[in-house]
Amino acid sequence: MTVDADWTIVVPVKQVPDADDVTIDPETGTLNRSDAPAVLNAPDYNAVEAALSLRERAGGEVVAVTMGPPFARAVLETAVALGADDAVLLTDRAFGGSDTWPTSLALARAADELDADVVVCGEESTDSSTGQVPPGIAAHNGWAQLTYAEELEPRPDDDELVAVRDVEGGHERVAAETPVVVAFEYGENEPRAAGLHRKIYAETEFEPEEWSAEDLGISEQVGLVNSPTKVGGMDTADPVEREQAVVDDVDALSDRITEVTADD
Amino acid sequence: MTDDDTVHEDVWVFVEEHGGDVAGVSWELLAKGRELADETGEDLVALVVGEGVDDVGAEAVERGADRALVADDPVFEPYRAGPYGDQFRALVEERRPSIVLIGGTTTGRDFAGRVAVPADAGLTADCTELDVDDEGLLLARRPTFGGDAMATIKCPDHRPQMATVRAGVFDAAERDPDRDGDVEAVDVVVEADDALSRVLEREVGDVADITDADVVVAGGGGTEGDFAPVEALADALDGEVAASRKAVDEGWVEPARQVGQTGKTVRPDLYVAAGISGAVQHVEGMNDAETVVAVNTDPNAPIFEHADYGIVGDLHEVLPELTDRLGGRSPPEPTA
Ligand SMILES: Cc1cc2nc3c(=O)[nH]c(=O)nc-3n(C[C@H](O)[C@H](O)[C@H](O)COP(=O)(O)OP(=O)(O)OC[C@H]3O[C@@H](n4cnc5c(N)ncnc54)[C@H](O)[C@@H]3O)c2cc1C
Ligand SMILES: Cc1cc2nc3c(=O)[nH]c(=O)nc-3n(C[C@H](O)[C@H](O)[C@H](O)COP(=O)(O)OP(=O)(O)OC[C@H]3O[C@@H](n4cnc5c(N)ncnc54)[C@H](O)[C@@H]3O)c2cc1C
Repeated sequence: MTVDADWTIVVPVKQVPDADDVTIDPETGTLNRSDAPAVLNAPDYNAVEAALSLRERAGGEVVAVTMGPPFARAVLETAVALGADDAVLLTDRAFGGSDTWPTSLALARAADELDADVVVCGEESTDSSTGQVPPGIAAHNGWAQLTYAEELEPRPDDDELVAVRDVEGGHERVAAETPVVVAFEYGENEPRAAGLHRKIYAETEFEPEEWSAEDLGISEQVGLVNSPTKVGGMDTADPVEREQAVVDDVDALSDRITEVTADD
Repeated sequence: MTDDDTVHEDVWVFVEEHGGDVAGVSWELLAKGRELADETGEDLVALVVGEGVDDVGAEAVERGADRALVADDPVFEPYRAGPYGDQFRALVEERRPSIVLIGGTTTGRDFAGRVAVPADAGLTADCTELDVDDEGLLLARRPTFGGDAMATIKCPDHRPQMATVRAGVFDAAERDPDRDGDVEAVDVVVEADDALSRVLEREVGDVADITDADVVVAGGGGTEGDFAPVEALADALDGEVAASRKAVDEGWVEPARQVGQTGKTVRPDLYVAAGISGAVQHVEGMNDAETVVAVNTDPNAPIFEHADYGIVGDLHEVLPELTDRLGGRSPPEPTA
């Protein structure tokens, strides 16, 4: 045990294709993710902001981590530009095809390796949007979890983090022991803009550390073969046919509505 | 890692309960679970965890379960992932279900993500269609990329096969007081003091169910917080008020009324979207509406592509006029 009141705050960030630019290959049914510019998952801006704000109140450092191909380092640069102190890229062919089970294992091992007190994730990704990675990280490490968190109150002296959580139709305040994994709710804080100096540093000087599956001791537990779920097929959702008629005045609209609601 | 050779059977539904109130999505999953169990010739089992929840178990039987497993203990109220997860894991190891369905609420997703890991289970999120093939393999269809694509996900080598489903995707199972089934109290394996977290306060507000409404009038950022015209129109049409996530995040409307990917799925005859831009995540929750009407000041708003009838205009003028025409009460003065 180190006598250290400062927190190590780990922020897992995901690189996702820019939502508007994903196309599907009609022949193979696979996604052409390569056409789409890759960006930082929008909810992860809220996670980074929540982590920076925790650092300001509790002291310590913020380390961004991503698991992905080598070019995923771009989202680490974004996180560093926003204010993260350091970053680690988990990259290895062995990770390819991982579902949420091995993805959360890799992130859990990295968080453990970094001696994390708090892990702050985004609510969910904008591409596969399972929201399963944060509770998965907590489960792999046997740590507490605070999902759908809207506010965080650090209590480093008590080794506790208090969160206001969104529960269906209401809220709860929960105190969790550290280490703890948070999933911060999308849109619940105002992410700061990257400072110019920080941005230049991130783009020109900064180099993330790189860890492989072997470094984490999990080569045999990751990748497609070790993923319980398999994507069996992908197709474009049948677009819903809509009239798309623009009416000029309220009378016409009111007539349409009367027709529709009189139908049954 | 595969455990093909051990037998896993039965379809389980996690019945989400808070202080005696059951989340509506649980009854929707019982209806779907009944279909799946009939197809595979297995039992449908309701899993009820909470304090003083025998009657919830009995209701689950009335709504289609062959059996209810009830874990009853004060440690389970209110919900926390740790105790629920440990109890679930013990039951899964002992009884080996083939399929487990969980509601995609904040609690359900918190729970599902936690328990899938130690159970070595495959977990498919936010399914909109569920089926089984000849071998009892669950075929879980889910939208991805904000609803632009549908993926079919299978879990060939791991059991249980788990899936979450958002509220409103399936119709709820009706109650039939004549149905028979067992309500079994199971051993509680969790100690009160091994929990990693404690709930300091909990406040549950409006848990409105907008998923069954025939008419839904939804407001978004364009209301600028004044929902009076939306409420008046909903009233005139005998419908429910709903909202985009933006309006919910701003605190103008209760979360229970949010439509979309991270909210509810509604399938009304008429959906009115007022001051809602039409982001993919919103459209995903209203795509099954029979007729969609959009009111927006911006003629280029994406919502018009997802609407049958649109009108370009200020909702603060259009909605009151509409309400008037449709014979509603005259709308109150804006409260801004
Ligand atoms: C079409 C499709 C459907 C899929 N459906 C499923 C499914 O139903 N079940 C399943 O188990 N897997 C599924 N997968 C696999 C899943 O997309 C990957 O495991 C993915 O890397 C993580 O899941 P997510 O994006 O849903 O993360 P989420 O759990 O939604 O992400 C929440 C947060 O976790 C963190 N995070 C997530 N991924 C990373 C990362 N790579 N690096 C750093 N931080 C991260 C971020 O903070 C993020 O905001 C699917 C994949 C595809 C292509
Ligand atoms: C992971 C994730 C999950 C999400 N889940 C959901 C979800 O479940 N549901 C959801 O709704 N969103 C969801 N979102 C958010 C979504 O992307 C949009 O940000 C949100 O839907 C925007 O809400 P809005 O259209 O009401 O507001 P805005 O984007 O602010 O749009 C307001 C609209 O009102 C119009 N307008 C302005 N003034 C007037 C006026 N006086 N009269 C008429 N029109 C006017 C404007 O032209 C504009 O089109 C999610 C996002 C993410 C990243």
